Amino acid sequence: MSDSSCPVNSTIVELDSTIQSGALKIPRSRRLAEEILDLLNDVAWGRAGDDHVSAIESLALEMAGNIADDTSRNVGKRITDAVNDNREVFESHVKTHNCKTGACVKLAPAPCQMTCPAGLDIPTYVTLIGLGRDAEAIDVIRQDCPFPWVCGLVCTRPCEYMCVRGRMDSPISIKFLKAFAAERAMSWRHYRNPEKADDKGQKVCIIGAGPAGMSAAYYLALKGYGVTIIESLPTAGGMIMVGIPRYRLPREVIDREVAMLEELGVQFRFDTAFGKDVTLDELKADGFSAFFFAIGAHKSFQLNIPGEHDFPQVLQSIDFLKHVALGNRHKPGNKVVVIGGGNVAIDAARTSLRLGSDEITMAYRRTRSEMPADIEEVEQAEEEGIQISFLTIPAEIMGENGRVTGLRCIRAKMVTQEGSNRMIPVPVEGSDFLIEADAIISAIGQQVNHDCLESLNDLKWTRRNTIEANTVSMETSVPGIFAAGDAVTGPATVIEAIGGGKRAALAIDRYLSGIPQPKLPSVPVRRGRIDWLEIPATTKMILKRPHMSVLNIDRRRTTFQQVELGYTENMVREEARRCLRCDICIRCGKCVEICRDKMGIEALKMGYINFDHPGPTDFRITAERCILCGACAANCPTHAMRMEDRNGERTLSLCGTILNRQKLHYCDSCGAVMGVERYLDYIRKKTVTVSKTTDNRLLCMACARKQSAHSGDELVMPPGRSH
Amino acid sequence: MTFRRGQKVEVYQKSQDEMWQSYMDEFVGIHGIVTDPDTNINDPDALVEVSLNGKGTFRLPQDCIRLLEE
Repeated sequence: MSDSSCPVNSTIVELDSTIQSGALKIPRSRRLAEEILDLLNDVAWGRAGDDHVSAIESLALEMAGNIADDTSRNVGKRITDAVNDNREVFESHVKTHNCKTGACVKLAPAPCQMTCPAGLDIPTYVTLIGLGRDAEAIDVIRQDCPFPWVCGLVCTRPCEYMCVRGRMDSPISIKFLKAFAAERAMSWRHYRNPEKADDKGQKVCIIGAGPAGMSAAYYLALKGYGVTIIESLPTAGGMIMVGIPRYRLPREVIDREVAMLEELGVQFRFDTAFGKDVTLDELKADGFSAFFFAIGAHKSFQLNIPGEHDFPQVLQSIDFLKHVALGNRHKPGNKVVVIGGGNVAIDAARTSLRLGSDEITMAYRRTRSEMPADIEEVEQAEEEGIQISFLTIPAEIMGENGRVTGLRCIRAKMVTQEGSNRMIPVPVEGSDFLIEADAIISAIGQQVNHDCLESLNDLKWTRRNTIEANTVSMETSVPGIFAAGDAVTGPATVIEAIGGGKRAALAIDRYLSGIPQPKLPSVPVRRGRIDWLEIPATTKMILKRPHMSVLNIDRRRTTFQQVELGYTENMVREEARRCLRCDICIRCGKCVEICRDKMGIEALKMGYINFDHPGPTDFRITAERCILCGACAANCPTHAMRMEDRNGERTLSLCGTILNRQKLHYCDSCGAVMGVERYLDYIRKKTVTVSKTTDNRLLCMACARKQSAHSGDELVMPPGRSH
Repeated sequence: MTFRRGQKVEVYQKSQDEMWQSYMDEFVGIHGIVTDPDTNINDPDALVEVSLNGKGTFRLPQDCIRLLEE
């Protein structure tokens, strides 16, 4: 876990220690302190309501001001200061039910949720999907992300990189579970919008109908604002519509999720370019009180090589993909060279293939391991027959009679840059070669096109040519104007744009309500406390991440049908059961330490708890070694480790994973529960030197005392009990 | 490109870059995983998306992070 500098937790520790020490001599002062402690514990355990923080403050003020005792006054003042200095954190605990430091153990968020730029409550919705409650899962997701179906197909899934299960074998397939649930909910007509707040009578204008703009629109509409989105393209979606090809993200998926926004009352003005068709002053005159700029990064970088501007067959990847997405489905040429190694380059290459180009070669100046494109995308492209020419530096676009004939390239070698460990490609002298081509597509990156914002003189820009914005509140240098998405981050991911849009919506609401903006990054909100799924340890270990079925290769090379065919229902339910429920188990390792160091058993092999140096994990080992003493469960701060007696058995489970299950033994005399055989053996071995056994009878402590009294022997303690 | 997706990194110092904001000061010493490297043109100046253990996901300048392992 992370550091434990949580002001809520520190205040609790300090106050508890003061009360325990007896330093508060005056009864009224002690009573006040205990009441404050109760309220603080409510905050730390996720039980607090909206008035808790003010109630704590009020009681602390009473202590600080009205009690004629220095200690009480100091304690009251320290609590008041703690709340005043960290009000945002106290209130965040109440609102989000998450403590990002993990110090308030019941509120420690799962790493996957903390990682998600939009803060999706992944453990909750994965568990709901495991239970077959897909529509509820989508309801949970849509509290933090309006586009679960889109994200289920194209998210770069940072959550999976932080997934703790990945330290055991492979991460939970969070993305595809989400896609399944969204598709199912949509198909069964259970995909619904949350309740909308009453109309606030204020209007917000959003410029750009991409993921950031539409996310902000969704949350603002839910809060009761009138929202209009200005979009220069004839359709909604931004980069997810015109930058991502249909074989990865079908148009229907975008259309259906956009329709949910329209259902909330969000209005779109398509084919309307800001700065050209409409100005800021005109929009202000229309009654808009705040503005959100999410214009994306749609301008391609230039290659800066000879011939780049001399032939119409030299295309910019963003323009090419956009035209194809909008219906201009003509192949760029028969022999196409795509320059670049990122996802956009792969998309351009695979799109050319589907449009009928015969030979597609990607020219990339570095090696395969440096390619920024997703490994799955690269593999799929190569399967489809796309060639990748590595260590290839474009030097000149060749042509004659106004037509491209090829790309002159220079072979590169990777060398370490002087003064750093960075490897850079350097041309190899005399290694020129020609790749024949009749079309060249440049895909070396994008930047923000700020022509449309030139009239905003006070808007500041970063040296990276992005809009300067506070990344917590998304405020720009102009009051009332907010910005997020690629326009702020530079070309980034869909889920980052969605997270930015959500943050901006909250900030716009604060701005229009006259509430100060937050100073710290938002903490994701825990949307539910779903009980875990029970599963035997063996099943938990042997379940593997499912393999994704893909469309047959011929259809992939000729059509824009979706390549990834999705998981079956059985795959989805099983995959959800692999989740370790890190929202409940905080991986503090106390169970492992106690079992190993105090009990000397070493029955818990959970190498995944270490972030930096994970070791092997095997839940099945526990059944071989565990004596079911319960020390681990008794010391688990979150009750993730649980020991229960049921149906004549004692069961030890960790977040629903049944680690051990043994038959219980009962007192031969009165029938009281004695424990399991291994535990009784353990105690017998520990006590054999200090006492006789009770005539091989299994007796509880009370019955043993009785027998001892009757027989006149020394007291013999039965296994499982101490003096 | 120095950073690749999935690599473990450490925020080892504050960045001098304009994108570094004051709340990021507490990130120094935290370990994390690169979740989206510089997708531009392998630009050493590009921001890298890093998920920091217990902190969340942020785009950070490359001068404040270093690799923990290959």
